[in-house]
Amino acid sequence: MTRDSQIAEEAAAWIDRLNQPAFDAAAGPDFDAWMAAAPRHREVFADLQALWHSEVLVEALGQAESTPIAAVAPSVPVARSRRPRRTAPLLAAAACAMLLAIVLILPILSTTIYRTGAGKSRSVELADGSRVDMSGDTEVRVQILPWKRNAELVRGEAYFDVRHERARTFRVASGTTTVRVLGTAFNVDRQSATRTAVAVYRGAVEVGVAGEADIVLRKGDGARVVDGHLTSQPRIAVSAPDWKSGWFEASDIPLGVLIGKVQRYSARPILVQDAALQTLPISGRFHVSDTDRVLQAVQSAYHVDVAYGPKAIAIRPVRDVEDR
Amino acid sequence: MPATLHQIETPTGTPPEDWRTIGATLNRYVRARTSRTDVVEDVVQETLSRLVQQSRVQHLVSVYALGFRIAANLLIDHHRRDSRYAAEPAVEPASQAPLPDRVLVGRQEVAILKEALAAMPPLRRDVLVRRRLQGQSCAAIARDLGLSPKAVEKHITRGLADLHKAMPGNAAAREDAR
Repeated sequence: MTRDSQIAEEAAAWIDRLNQPAFDAAAGPDFDAWMAAAPRHREVFADLQALWHSEVLVEALGQAESTPIAAVAPSVPVARSRRPRRTAPLLAAAACAMLLAIVLILPILSTTIYRTGAGKSRSVELADGSRVDMSGDTEVRVQILPWKRNAELVRGEAYFDVRHERARTFRVASGTTTVRVLGTAFNVDRQSATRTAVAVYRGAVEVGVAGEADIVLRKGDGARVVDGHLTSQPRIAVSAPDWKSGWFEASDIPLGVLIGKVQRYSARPILVQDAALQTLPISGRFHVSDTDRVLQAVQSAYHVDVAYGPKAIAIRPVRDVEDR
Repeated sequence: MPATLHQIETPTGTPPEDWRTIGATLNRYVRARTSRTDVVEDVVQETLSRLVQQSRVQHLVSVYALGFRIAANLLIDHHRRDSRYAAEPAVEPASQAPLPDRVLVGRQEVAILKEALAAMPPLRRDVLVRRRLQGQSCAAIARDLGLSPKAVEKHITRGLADLHKAMPGNAAAREDAR
């Protein structure tokens, strides 16, 4: 039994190592050798890996987290004032506090916010030499620190051409979706608060959702996260994202999302107040930078009513369905 | 079309019996994650054939590490596809719920795991929550909790081993079910 629990610990250690963002190449042969050494090694590893990936573990952890004893606020850098539970010698605590202060202050100082208005696009070069091309009505917050590079897509859509650095990973957060970059060019489209699309144009990235397992996307791959739910997307291989030329390829996209795209180019607000209309699935290739043309296309293909008001454009269901 | 075990040629010196062992190990993992036998079959065969393809074009750092990663990704793909098809007739968005056949077993397992988590030192539980649920990196956890990276690693390792131990029927029960 003690032998078995030792195997379990060894297996658990391998799982932890394998789950690191960069699996140490030198450890590969060691891992294979360990697996080859005994059938019990393979069995325990397979069971533990399944347990680690399982939905039941996520659920159990979620419930454990919400019980009072373990209640810990998810770490927000600014709100972090939690002290280590273990009592440490005073000196160490002081040193820790100082380090914590540096860790807390640095990110705030080094966050840069980039914004574009509707219809405007902008290309910025970051401190590390990476480039970000932003679509209209987009906000990106970037933090370049000595040990990591983080960007947050607050809204809109952006194309990232990331300078490869082995030691400093580059992460893009869009809602609960995170894209971890392995040195590459890719597009992130925040279609709504809970909806993000990712497409890779060079190299590879890892896409993760909250606690979910990561999925690796390579050149030509795309993925969509809707309400925390990840789906891989077939994507036509092109050299640059559609939005750069003002186009958007929709396949079964809610009308609300398409209108959100059009809105990035239109100074006049476009209103879709009908809930059913918001979710109406739309397919087609749209020239989203040309507001009138898109609305015309949608009007004729999907039988909706587009009313041009003085201040806003309203999209509504057709009132009287006339017989044809 | 996934290759079957018999079709697998081994150009890089991995003997066929090793592929069988790898296949059996992956099978055990996949079986623990879904009870749909057709999916198990599919995922394992597809993983093996991709591994063989990969080993033809490049030297694999670790056959097992890559195998488990491919299998995990294929399972995600399967799961998404299933929930998408299931959601198609109704117009509601794809459900996040696990496959129905897993729900019942799942509830018992959740209860067992919760108990095991409650029995753990709070710090260890906290580390597990941060690592698995919030997806924090080990370095970030170490920083947040004032621990050394080694200590974080230890907590994850011990915690995972604890959880594993808490599920005694786990391996045996599934073996019987076959």
